[in-house]
Amino acid sequence: MRLKQGSFLWYLYLDKIYCLLSVRNVKALAEYFHILDVHGKNTLNDVLFYHFLHHVTDLKKAQINIVFDMLDWNAVGEIGFEKFYMLVCMLLAHQNHLEGQFMYRHSRPVFDLLDLKGDLRIGAKNFEIYRFLFNIQKQELKDLFHDFDITGDNRLNYQEFKLYTIIYIDKLQKRQKTEEKEKGERKRSLYSKCHIKQIQAERVSWKKMESESTEREH
Amino acid sequence: MEEKPSKVSLKSSDRQGSDEESVHSDTRDLWTTTTLSLAQLNMPLSEVCEGFDEEGRNISKTRGWHSPGRGSLDEGYKASHKPEELDEHALVELELHRGTSMEINLGEKDTASQIEAEKSSSMSSLNIAKHMPHRAYWAEQQSRLPLPLMELMENEALEILTKALRSYQLGIGRDHFLTKELQRYIEGLKKRRSKRLYVN
Repeated sequence: MRLKQGSFLWYLYLDKIYCLLSVRNVKALAEYFHILDVHGKNTLNDVLFYHFLHHVTDLKKAQINIVFDMLDWNAVGEIGFEKFYMLVCMLLAHQNHLEGQFMYRHSRPVFDLLDLKGDLRIGAKNFEIYRFLFNIQKQELKDLFHDFDITGDNRLNYQEFKLYTIIYIDKLQKRQKTEEKEKGERKRSLYSKCHIKQIQAERVSWKKMESESTEREH
Repeated sequence: MEEKPSKVSLKSSDRQGSDEESVHSDTRDLWTTTTLSLAQLNMPLSEVCEGFDEEGRNISKTRGWHSPGRGSLDEGYKASHKPEELDEHALVELELHRGTSMEINLGEKDTASQIEAEKSSSMSSLNIAKHMPHRAYWAEQQSRLPLPLMELMENEALEILTKALRSYQLGIGRDHFLTKELQRYIEGLKKRRSKRLYVN
């Protein structure tokens, strides 16, 4: 799922830590939503929503309908600005590879969205339907339910889901630290190689100068 | 549990755009990546967006970005600016206010005092012009979204709504009131866009 380059959403900036837009960006987004709100109801119906998502992303029709059904919490056939804002944050998080951070920071609203039946549990089938939004692979999803379904009912309650997001972020941070260490070591080894070459070159030139000076003396 | 900010490596695609659009994209990038001082702003989402409450219901249709009543927003806006910028903003406001007050009091003053007032205002405006030659730019910065951003939004919305119109016509027919409403809206948007292009 990618945002179309050069579209309005592409220019918005998502805070990397809190995975939210700034006030200024929200104002711009509100203005954009207002322009799309053709019928003056402060909502987007399913047709407008479909064409909007189809225009700014590469999602297929079935996926767009799934997203609409997920956001249309009250089943009124329309999406308000709050849900629209959340969707935009999710799209930007996906675009900037911040899906894990987004789930960690906003675990409650994400859980509520995935809890389709409203029974405070997320089933494996439901999560499977929406995993494309959070860039979760099939095997990762299986491992998720295997590792975090503590109650053993093949569903995740909020605590289990929150634990997953915490551990996911922890693993991500460790991976980034090791990557940074490796980068640092590579740089150091490159630097030391260059340094050695420089010293050798200086020695050679110094020897040349010495030999020239002795020749002149003779 | 205290959450440490994670150093997430940004692998986002380049947002600078092509060379042809570099001027517009720079403006849009600058504008969207500049953040207001969030420490000063502690308000729910609904208060940020005028006309919307927390359930997405319409409160008012007015879209004045800069209103005198919203002190906290202005404070937050001012807090994010440097002192010299704040002074310039204050100067602009003063000039604008003086301009309006001058118009109001025009009929009441004598001609001599009027000339004196005009001289003083022209002097002050000269001083202000020295510090801030691009008045329209500063007015835009304070109260409205940047024009390139507005243009981008409207162009994109126009494309989206044109496609939506076809769906409406196929789905509910050309004579349905929603289809007609959408058609009128699109025409209005096109007129607004052509007016702006004509003015530019």
